[in-house]
Amino acid sequence: MRRWIGPVLATPVTAWLLLAFAAPLAVVVLLSLHEYPSPFGPVLVHPSLVQFRTILTDGFYLSIIAETVALGLAVTVVSAILGYPLAHWLARMPSRWRALAFAVILIPLLTNVVVRSLGIILLLSPKGLLNSVAALVGLGPFNGMLFTHGAVIVALAQVFMPFMVLALYDNLQNTSPRIHEAAESLGASPAIRFLTVDFPLSLPGLRSGIIVVFLMTVTSYVSATLLGGKKVWTIGMLVMQEAIQNLNATMASALSLVMTVVGLAFIGLVTVALGRFMAWRKGTPSAPMDIPAPLARSVDLAGPVLSKLALYCAIGLLLLPLGLVVVQSFNDVPLATAAGFKGFTLEWYRRVLIAGDYTANFLISVKLAFASVVTGLILALPAGFALARHPFRGRGMLLAFWMLPLSLPGIAIAVGMLKLLQIYLAVPPFLGLMAVHVVVILPFMITLLTTSVLSLDPALEEASASLGANAVRTFLHVTLPSLAPGLFAAGLVGFLMSFGEVTVTAFLTTARLTTLPVRIYSEATFALEPTAHAISALLIGVTIIALGVLGKFVRLDRLYSR
Amino acid sequence: MTLTRRQFTGLGLAALAAPASIIRPAYAQPKPGDELVVGIWGGAQEKIVKQFIEPKLVEKYGCKISYVLGGTTDRRARAYAERGRPSFDVLYLNIYESRQAVADGVTQAPTAAVERFDALYPLAQKGGYGVAFNPCTVVYDGTAAKTPVTSWKDMWNPEWKGRIAWPNGLGAEGISALMMTAKSFSYDITEFDKVLEKVAELKPFAGIQSSQAQLYDMIDQDVADLSVEFASFTRKYAETRNPDCVIAAPEEGMAVTMNVACITEGTRNQKLAEEWINLHLSEEVMVAYAREVYYSPTVKDIEMPDDVKDKVITGGQVDDLVDFDWDYINAHRAEWQAKFDRVLAG
Repeated sequence: MRRWIGPVLATPVTAWLLLAFAAPLAVVVLLSLHEYPSPFGPVLVHPSLVQFRTILTDGFYLSIIAETVALGLAVTVVSAILGYPLAHWLARMPSRWRALAFAVILIPLLTNVVVRSLGIILLLSPKGLLNSVAALVGLGPFNGMLFTHGAVIVALAQVFMPFMVLALYDNLQNTSPRIHEAAESLGASPAIRFLTVDFPLSLPGLRSGIIVVFLMTVTSYVSATLLGGKKVWTIGMLVMQEAIQNLNATMASALSLVMTVVGLAFIGLVTVALGRFMAWRKGTPSAPMDIPAPLARSVDLAGPVLSKLALYCAIGLLLLPLGLVVVQSFNDVPLATAAGFKGFTLEWYRRVLIAGDYTANFLISVKLAFASVVTGLILALPAGFALARHPFRGRGMLLAFWMLPLSLPGIAIAVGMLKLLQIYLAVPPFLGLMAVHVVVILPFMITLLTTSVLSLDPALEEASASLGANAVRTFLHVTLPSLAPGLFAAGLVGFLMSFGEVTVTAFLTTARLTTLPVRIYSEATFALEPTAHAISALLIGVTIIALGVLGKFVRLDRLYSR
Repeated sequence: MTLTRRQFTGLGLAALAAPASIIRPAYAQPKPGDELVVGIWGGAQEKIVKQFIEPKLVEKYGCKISYVLGGTTDRRARAYAERGRPSFDVLYLNIYESRQAVADGVTQAPTAAVERFDALYPLAQKGGYGVAFNPCTVVYDGTAAKTPVTSWKDMWNPEWKGRIAWPNGLGAEGISALMMTAKSFSYDITEFDKVLEKVAELKPFAGIQSSQAQLYDMIDQDVADLSVEFASFTRKYAETRNPDCVIAAPEEGMAVTMNVACITEGTRNQKLAEEWINLHLSEEVMVAYAREVYYSPTVKDIEMPDDVKDKVITGGQVDDLVDFDWDYINAHRAEWQAKFDRVLAG
């Protein structure tokens, strides 16, 4: 009986990806095999490997691939170092405050990536907040912070760290207090307990976080373009340039596929490397961690200080740029990027709230994100169970296919979709756009939900069954509530990703279906007014109020903790 | 001279086809409920067309106007993918994109079917219907200049070393900067490698700027002091944010760049599209453009009001704008971009 459960559970998501992702992917593969670009030529031509040969023998391309990987690793390390204390802080937060504390990572995610990058500019610029504060204590000025790799790493960490925190949080908050009590009763200090208990138990979350942050970083281009001043290159920027500016879909496709291979190799390496430290997952006893006494004392002394410092840095990095976004929303300047506070105005709020400049775009984005999340959850949950509980032959291959949209730059999916546009136009635009959004968010949802399913305690379900509940009843009353944090995290990540998606959407938007991020991005490429900051500030305000109110009346703690 | 049978047949077919190319096809009259889809930039452009063009067209025909907002690159990529079956009716492109789009059969060549076509300067009658001249020139922080910039060659003065934000790639500003370098140092358009070598002498750059907004930030934040940018937006920036910013009038001239309204091949709203563009070429819109962002008019028969006439290009000044061989540039665009990336960027 058990043999067919896995494949059946894996079928819906596979079917969806075959329809909405495999087709553009196939087009990308075919385009990459063209000898030379031809915007109006057929997709199927005599295959040639000349594009791949060019990439692999041209020092320019190789150096950008190396630069991109280095950037991805740096952002991942920074996100992990800053994300751990933040996730730990959230997981240990009293339940009545947890909903509000979650605002620290939800608010940045709700803010448009263009606006967030502009916030980082206001933070790092020669006349920005950091330099102003440094000047107060007689330091600086530090004029070289912008348009450097450091600036891009900071901006990308600000954008992607919330994904790391969400992945870690789910694992950390699942650790039973009894395990902590046991560690303490055996003499472990909080710092040693973290190193020997919390950290190993959170490795599945860390693995998910590392993969997600790395892949998102190496395929990104908005923050790198705005903060790097073209002194920093990523492969995403190059793909964008080839596909859009040069109309060279052939080279763009080949570059995307090379980056996809790099991404898949990274996934394999991380999975194998971290898997070695998770022997307990397979029931194999782990070797006890032996920490020499002097080191333990050092950890006890430095641990609390360093973790607090990292926590403050994390919160500061996430919130300071947004504070500047809020300030800018009241600034009487003609363009969003104008530095310095010139005067107080409510004009930008009038444009949003009274003139309704962005209302239609906002509603489209919400509808699209909601529909994408519901569909994504329906598809990803069975996939999570298939991966975590019902091994079957070919599961590894299927997982690689499910994860492909993550490692393939969004721009490449767009390139494939552009070629398929004539077919795509026959599909209702909303449905077509939703199909692609679901493709973009599915890898995240599958990763997060698989981690959640792995964390489920099978003993609870066995207890339910032994008390006479059938499978459906057990699923609804035991399994599903236990999965609530994971579902919440996956739904949230999916909603925010869909709500903020701009790369693919910008290509597939129609006159009647322009989303809010596409609208803001379009204005940013021309002349962005602080109206974008006003709408971001409103979203921040609404998020804080909603989380505060919900947390008070609806017992959100039940959603987070089991 | 005797004609072969093949030549005779060819001439016969050409004679039959000639009237078809002269006689304008009969397009259906717009009717209430028709929808015109316009691909245009956001910000000031969107605001002006919504204020001055949309209401008149909607009132006259009861039609609906929908907008696809975004940069020209996104629009162009989508229009190319939809060639012959466009979701856009009117597409706004820049000067080189518009000419390439006509050559590629994505948009229509301009015709006198748009009433005000004849009022356009000849320069604005190519690749579509020019709706705004927007020349590119050297812009700089006047407080950082030892002497005013009077030539494109002044960028090579030692005082600007490390303070230049070079415009990115082969976009409107980028190609203007490169081609004006070629003109100033007497390089032929075929000597692109020499142009890049000359520009590479300016390295290290303070940055590579990808948009005027990014450049103005760089100047505001004291990251860079000089670049090549649209005179129009920079004038607005100087008046509203930075009075120290100077727009140079180099002796070699300013590089021509232009916003062009194009009608897509295969549009189902030909008449509406033509009327839309006709309204765009009206005096009212040209003046609004000039007042809002100092765009210069592309039609000859209007009088600019006193408050803006000295801040835009009009009359004989249009002839002083430096135009380039866009066909040659477009044919070498991908190759040049690759060279730019390797020699100047990064």
